[in-house]
Amino acid sequence: METHPTYSALSGFLSKYARATAGAAYQTYNDLLLAQQWSALEVVDLPACGRCAFRGRRPGVAKDEVVVPCALSESLSMAWLGAAFAGLGGLGEIYLAIAAEDSSVVYYKLTAGIAKPAV
Amino acid sequence: MTEPIPIHISNHRAFVFDVDHVAKLRTAHRITGVLGGTLPHLSQQNIFLGLPLILLPEEVFLLVSKGFAILVSDPGSYRTPSLQELAEWDDMRIADILRQLSRSQAQEDSKRKFAQSEEALRKRQEREERRRRDALARQTGASRDSTTVSSAGPFTLEATVSNVAPVPTPTAATSTSTASVLASNVFTVSVPMSSNSLSWHEPERHSFSTLDGARIAGIWTYPSTDAERAKCEVFRDLWEKGYYMGGGSKFGGDWLVYPGDPLRYHSHFVATVHSSPDALLRPMEIVAHGRLGTATKKAHLLCCWDPAARKVSYLSVEWAGFG
Repeated sequence: METHPTYSALSGFLSKYARATAGAAYQTYNDLLLAQQWSALEVVDLPACGRCAFRGRRPGVAKDEVVVPCALSESLSMAWLGAAFAGLGGLGEIYLAIAAEDSSVVYYKLTAGIAKPAV
Repeated sequence: MTEPIPIHISNHRAFVFDVDHVAKLRTAHRITGVLGGTLPHLSQQNIFLGLPLILLPEEVFLLVSKGFAILVSDPGSYRTPSLQELAEWDDMRIADILRQLSRSQAQEDSKRKFAQSEEALRKRQEREERRRRDALARQTGASRDSTTVSSAGPFTLEATVSNVAPVPTPTAATSTSTASVLASNVFTVSVPMSSNSLSWHEPERHSFSTLDGARIAGIWTYPSTDAERAKCEVFRDLWEKGYYMGGGSKFGGDWLVYPGDPLRYHSHFVATVHSSPDALLRPMEIVAHGRLGTATKKAHLLCCWDPAARKVSYLSVEWAGFG
């Protein structure tokens, strides 16, 4: 992946953290940038979760949103998710990107607290 | 402080047998429970069920810990009745049966008056004529069969005999009134439900107003594991926030969380409980719960009990809608 044109944006972060998180982060970054067509995509450091996250703007949405990547095979916990919220400056909602080994990525919106689903 | 509601415990299951208590649990305490009893006059279905109300163990925990209810050990609350009490009970039972029979007879009589009209009489005659013809046809047909297969053996003969047997009619010994009552196909039967009228039912003998007391007596031991304790704490927290909870097994969760009475609202959430902040949570669970929630117009509620900080934290999960 080092020779891929988008790698330069991530290289600093991926070398900092465990190799196991690199694949999911890289996959998610490319999916957001190229497939989901997010604009103003920037990499955010999230040491509390041992990885980097991504902040950008989804097409058709007025505000910035943050995506935290993870691999389908990882073991998470409620504490880990809580740390993600805290480490991003106490955001109300984040997207968790779950990357599988077949390169598919699914996104789930996590909202802190009890938030009614949209009608 | 109003009278606490008795919850009858039998084999570690919680039942409420009084309809007024069921209503009070719902209206005053926001506890719905599930009706699990068969209706006597609609017994071969389970869409409509009646008393008793069955409570979730978390509901019992909440009601007793807040003093809204007490636990009554059902097996232990009956003493041996005296012979006199049994005789009185039997007399009352027979009197009640006779009352029900005469009520049905009165119903039957009013139906008969209606059925005496000319039109009804004519139709009944036609029906009986048809039935007589059919029975005759069956008999002649059967006798023909029996002559040809009588050599075939005992089994076939038995079969033809049963074909010829007429529809059972009431014997001459029974009175005509009971016969007509039995022949009609709709009765109102009252089934004795409550033990309150029995003089040897003494629930005070084996009642517990605290969970610890019930646990020591071995009647009710929930919660006894960390996972169960976490469920109780989360249930209580959701209840204190004003929600109604119902069973969540149809949606793959612990509970359905309603913003109001389930008879009036759809639930907004399917909740699952995680017993500690460090308990394993797989991304696949988030995918499965999140997708199911969104597909059913709900969100998934991940609830976590922190035993150290003694508080509950929540995360609402929905499919992002993209990706």
